[in-house]
Amino acid sequence: MFSLPLFRQSVKSNWVLWTAITSVMSVLCVQFAALEMTQPLLFVIFYGMMTTILPSIYVLVTANKLIANQVDRGSMAYVLSTPIKRSAVNFTQSVFLIGSLAAMFGIETLLHLAVNAAKPITIATALGNSELPLQGNLTAKMIVQVNLSAFVVCIAIAAVCFMFSDIFNSAKYSIGLSGTFVGVNILANMLAMFGSLGVGGLDKFRYLTICSFYDHQSVLFSQNDWIIKMIYPAAIAAAAFMIGSAVFRKKDLPL
Amino acid sequence: MPEIIKIEHMTKDYGGGRGIFDFSLSVNEGEAYGLVGTNGSGKTTTMRHLMGFLAPDSGSCEIGGINCRQHPDQIAKRVGYVPGQIDFPDVGSGTNFLKIQAQYFGIRDMSYTEKLIDLFKIDTSAPLKRMSKGMKQKMALVAAFMAKPDILLLDEPSTGLDPVMRDALIGLILEQKERGATVFMSSHIFKELEDTCDQVTFIHNGKVINTVSRALCGENMPRLYRIGFADESQYRAFKAHTSFQIDSFNDEYKHLTAVVPVNEMNSFVRVLADYNMRYVRFVPYSLEMYYKKYIENGGNV
Repeated sequence: MFSLPLFRQSVKSNWVLWTAITSVMSVLCVQFAALEMTQPLLFVIFYGMMTTILPSIYVLVTANKLIANQVDRGSMAYVLSTPIKRSAVNFTQSVFLIGSLAAMFGIETLLHLAVNAAKPITIATALGNSELPLQGNLTAKMIVQVNLSAFVVCIAIAAVCFMFSDIFNSAKYSIGLSGTFVGVNILANMLAMFGSLGVGGLDKFRYLTICSFYDHQSVLFSQNDWIIKMIYPAAIAAAAFMIGSAVFRKKDLPL
Repeated sequence: MPEIIKIEHMTKDYGGGRGIFDFSLSVNEGEAYGLVGTNGSGKTTTMRHLMGFLAPDSGSCEIGGINCRQHPDQIAKRVGYVPGQIDFPDVGSGTNFLKIQAQYFGIRDMSYTEKLIDLFKIDTSAPLKRMSKGMKQKMALVAAFMAKPDILLLDEPSTGLDPVMRDALIGLILEQKERGATVFMSSHIFKELEDTCDQVTFIHNGKVINTVSRALCGENMPRLYRIGFADESQYRAFKAHTSFQIDSFNDEYKHLTAVVPVNEMNSFVRVLADYNMRYVRFVPYSLEMYYKKYIENGGNV
């Protein structure tokens, strides 16, 4: 089911972008959490936008490279002319995609936990709104929960991109549709955020984006909404991975 | 010898007359089998079906009794494949690529791989993306041969190779045959098929048109002789009166090619003695001529 050589090959061809995006995300996280000037924007900018935008860029490019691009260029022939089943190729590549995403969030979370332990801030500061009826500091548990919520949404985005990568033999269609999907979600999320910051009418955009299932507010308010909201992206991810795998196992490959 | 590759009434219609249609052929174990055709005649499509990458619209193909489409992973255990389209995984250098391929096949002993690298004179430390077309083709050949597979599916294996390397490839194919491997290759370069293949199937516009065995080029084949005449009248006289079949002719240059059955060589010389000639030349019969004639005559040799 799982192919170690293929996994190694995927690491070799994708580590550059992973390292770049992970570094940017980590640096931003440390900066927003540590500097007094940017602390009020920690949840508006960093957890509000960066934790979905940055992984989405990585996922968009990588999902396409893992399947569609290799089929389009013909290099998949070297993988599939060895005793590996197509289902194993699909499984291994999706494990790599989710695994690398998990590592990205893992590193960022650990760094935030370290900074938070050294320089604790109050929840009100982190949200940039001192009038909110919130007591106490941002806890380690909250940080882990917020990241988990973002991670699950990113898996759903990854799964949809991977599904397009599985379906199309032509990289331009795969990246085109994935790009549209990611673009619409990110854009709607940003517009919805402006809406929640007080621009009238824009808050309706939250119904257009999968990122709405990522709910850091409910974590900070110690509610359980975020857990229930994880079910939807998880279901989307499962469905997308299953459709993608079914198509990839059956389709004609021009190799 | 048992049959190892079997294609039965396979059809894959891409629309607009492209694809392969009612394709049937069979290859015995240990045989070298060639597939010849012009560009777009269906060679690569056939190879892709054998690798299980494509599903036929109707009919089937199998290797060693295993259906290619249903169990491509089991087929792959026995097969070395050189794809028609050469592009490598994005893994940096050639050495990395071969190392990963060896892991896929579970090869520990790299001595044979080293031998192949020596044979083709490849600098594997070069980045794959910087390699020339011929260099890439040689890498693909090493990847296909390194596991010493029972069956080799080679889709235009000599693309981009220089003449010396092409000869090395022919030598390597003969060596594989010697050790008992079955070779199924496509090409439009007739020489390498003549040198290696026991049987050759001609395909045109996706249809099998004919299968010829090596005996075509054998001792008992009629010989072709080209005769250049001294002047127009001699040329016309021979052309009008001869009992020998005329294969081709050229009025402008006053030469023609006659077909001479093996046992009529003497009478041929006797007939020629009465004419003024510029030259007589033996024309080796090749698959290429056979093929060209076939295409020109619209399907009749």
